[in-house]
Amino acid sequence: MPLPDTMFCAQQIHIPPELPDILKQFTKAAIRTQPADVLQWSAGYFSALSRGDPLPVKDRIEMPVATQKTDTGLTQGLLKVLHKQCSHKEYVELADLEQKWKNLCLPGEKFRAVLELDPCKNKIEWIKFLALGCSMLGGSLTTAMKHLCEILTGDPEGGAACIPFETFSYVYRYLSGLDSDIPASDTETYLASLKENVDSKKNGMIGLSDFFVLQRKI
Amino acid sequence: MQTCCAGRRQEASGAGQVAVLGDTREALVRPWHWTVRVEAWRQRREKQLRTAPKERGLGEQRRYWPHKARLQSGTADHCRPPQTCAAMPAVFTRRRIYNGGAVGRSQGPEVALSTGHPRKPDNRNSPEVPPPDGTLGCCATAGGAGAGLAAAWSKPSVAPTSCPGNLPSRPPPFSPPLLASRNPCPWHYLHLSGFHDALVPTCFEARRHRKRSGPNPDVASRLTDRTSPAMATYTYTSRPRALPCQRRRYRDNLLQPAEEPVHHGNIMYDRRVIRGNTYALQTVPLPGQPDPVEIQRKQQAKRRALAKKRAQEQLRPRTPEPVEGRKHVDVQTELYLEEIADRIIEVDTECQTDAFLDRPPTPLFIPAKTGKDVATQILEGELFDFDLEVKPMLEVLVGKTIEQSLLEVMEEEELADLRASQYAHEELRNIELAEVQRLEEQERRHREEKERRKQQQWQTIHKHKETSQKIAARAFAQRYLADLLPSVFDSLRDGGYFYDPIERDIEMGFFPWLMNEVDKAMEYSMVGRTVLDMLIHEVVEKRLSLYERKEDKPSSLKPEDRLGGPGGMRDPLVGNGFQGPGASQSQRPLPDRDFPQRTPYDGRYMEKVLSKERRLMEEEDEQPEIRNAFGREELSQ
Repeated sequence: MPLPDTMFCAQQIHIPPELPDILKQFTKAAIRTQPADVLQWSAGYFSALSRGDPLPVKDRIEMPVATQKTDTGLTQGLLKVLHKQCSHKEYVELADLEQKWKNLCLPGEKFRAVLELDPCKNKIEWIKFLALGCSMLGGSLTTAMKHLCEILTGDPEGGAACIPFETFSYVYRYLSGLDSDIPASDTETYLASLKENVDSKKNGMIGLSDFFVLQRKI
Repeated sequence: MQTCCAGRRQEASGAGQVAVLGDTREALVRPWHWTVRVEAWRQRREKQLRTAPKERGLGEQRRYWPHKARLQSGTADHCRPPQTCAAMPAVFTRRRIYNGGAVGRSQGPEVALSTGHPRKPDNRNSPEVPPPDGTLGCCATAGGAGAGLAAAWSKPSVAPTSCPGNLPSRPPPFSPPLLASRNPCPWHYLHLSGFHDALVPTCFEARRHRKRSGPNPDVASRLTDRTSPAMATYTYTSRPRALPCQRRRYRDNLLQPAEEPVHHGNIMYDRRVIRGNTYALQTVPLPGQPDPVEIQRKQQAKRRALAKKRAQEQLRPRTPEPVEGRKHVDVQTELYLEEIADRIIEVDTECQTDAFLDRPPTPLFIPAKTGKDVATQILEGELFDFDLEVKPMLEVLVGKTIEQSLLEVMEEEELADLRASQYAHEELRNIELAEVQRLEEQERRHREEKERRKQQQWQTIHKHKETSQKIAARAFAQRYLADLLPSVFDSLRDGGYFYDPIERDIEMGFFPWLMNEVDKAMEYSMVGRTVLDMLIHEVVEKRLSLYERKEDKPSSLKPEDRLGGPGGMRDPLVGNGFQGPGASQSQRPLPDRDFPQRTPYDGRYMEKVLSKERRLMEEEDEQPEIRNAFGREELSQ
């Protein structure tokens, strides 16, 4: 009588029923996220999966707008992934954040470079870090604000990308405060004009078209 | 002869009782009797079957039955000796005879019984005792005894036929009330309806019952309608008991002819037992229905005829008993044999099952094999290499997974792209819509403004036109109406529409009043003048007369002349003077008042007034004309 653990043919190989699904989801996530270091990313992926945390997976596949050869490799999608993972609390631990950063195959120097803009000790306010990351994506302050709006918004992709004006003004003040070139009075006047516009149009929500189009006109 | 008849009669009634007894007994006996006979027949038939099956078949098919003549013979199961059977009727008859002899006395049964008993042994041993009615039974065989017995038992129907003719006035044998007797038989009580609540022992052999305690006759009931003409309530009391075996248990065919209906002992079929509603029992017979006595008489006549017939049949000579080893068989005695067709022809068929098959031969016993013949040794990992075997599967798994994932990712990406572009377009469209709305609103406002301006301009032009037209019309109207007003006023004034109210009041109210007053004043003056005239006339006449007298006497005329002279001279003046102040005073203030106001008319007016006054003063007598003229003048004015 053959023992049950003895196998004689391929039909006896048992595949766990949940394996294909997990494998498929993982493959999809990998394809979508396109991590530089798949192993590192996989470790982060499976640890998040086992803990039940939000997965480090991009919502949309990103064409390689940021090659890690020429620039840091930080993209809006990656920032969005980080936001998805960290936005549930107001302050995030730096170590935790760095771990997540690394899981996304982003270089640690870049992380430190980001933190150099606004040095802090153990924890950092997440919205500030996000603003710093947006500013690192390149471009002007308005571009950074555009990225921020697109990350923070609850609207569907391609929509108006509205965010509350308070958040917008807070981030704008913070970012313009970091930049010594821009005087505070300019910031305030700009915000005031925006607020007027917003108040007349919508219920306290500022959309992408409100300031970006405005900017483009000028 | 008389006693004999009485005896017969008594016996008849007694026999009737026994017959009833026989009926009941037979009802109890017959089942057994019948079964016995059936058993005997079956045995016989079986024997036939066994002995000659072939012959039997023929016999069955062609059997001829004797038609009418039947020879009866006692079968083997008629075990009872005839002597005992014959004994009872003998006793009865003897007793009845005695009883019949003692008809005149009361309480006959006891005497009869006591006398009857000593004779019994003799009777039992001698079957030749002739039946009381004198019929000759066949004494040689038991059948003869049975016949005799039957004759004795069939008495109740036979005896009355002869008796009523002989003794019509004979009282019924049981008519005296049978009071509770001194020998009550506990089993035999009859509740007679004629005697309420009187329990009458109907068994006359009560003592014998007690003594013998043997085969007591089961007398339990008797007909009461024979004794009492009216319908009586019938009760039946019978205690269940074992059947006495010494009595005969069968019935001869002679006793009960085939045509006579079989009497059952079952009370359910007893016509004396009334079933159903008992209220109907007490009813008086309807007048339309025949008299019950008549019915009874008819029934009796019928019964008598029946009994006579039966008696005649019994009187016929019978076939003697067969000798030992033989028996009577029905034989056709007709001239020609004829087939009895009323019998259904029976055909027997047979069937035979096959014999049992032979048992198959027992196969050869071969013991089961044990142990191994061949074996193959397979070492571990020889047949199955997991890594090798799992490779295609893994390839499939990985390849499929990646393919599927790629497909899905592409699909989802496409969908998301589509959605994103859709939203973007929607956003764009929203913005454009807003812009369009804004522009539309602006356009609308512009248009409205233009309309408003246009309307305003139109209004001003219209007003201008209106004003100029109004001015032109006004000028024209002014010019047109310039000379109209004076002419109208003139014509109106000419028409007298414009007047001075005071003047009018004076003209309308004052002048008439004034004229009235003037008239009155004139009248007064005229009256005064006439009076004055009359006075003057009188005075003149007086003076004339005086003068005439003075002429006669001139002296006397002087004083009167002086008096009348001035008066006569001044008469018109005085008249004027008298009149003047009244008229001038009344007329003068008016012109004084009017003159300053009526400057345009005063000239004419004054003239008129003055001329009027003048005329008035001149023509005092023509006043009405003046007044009229004055009125005319006024009216014309």
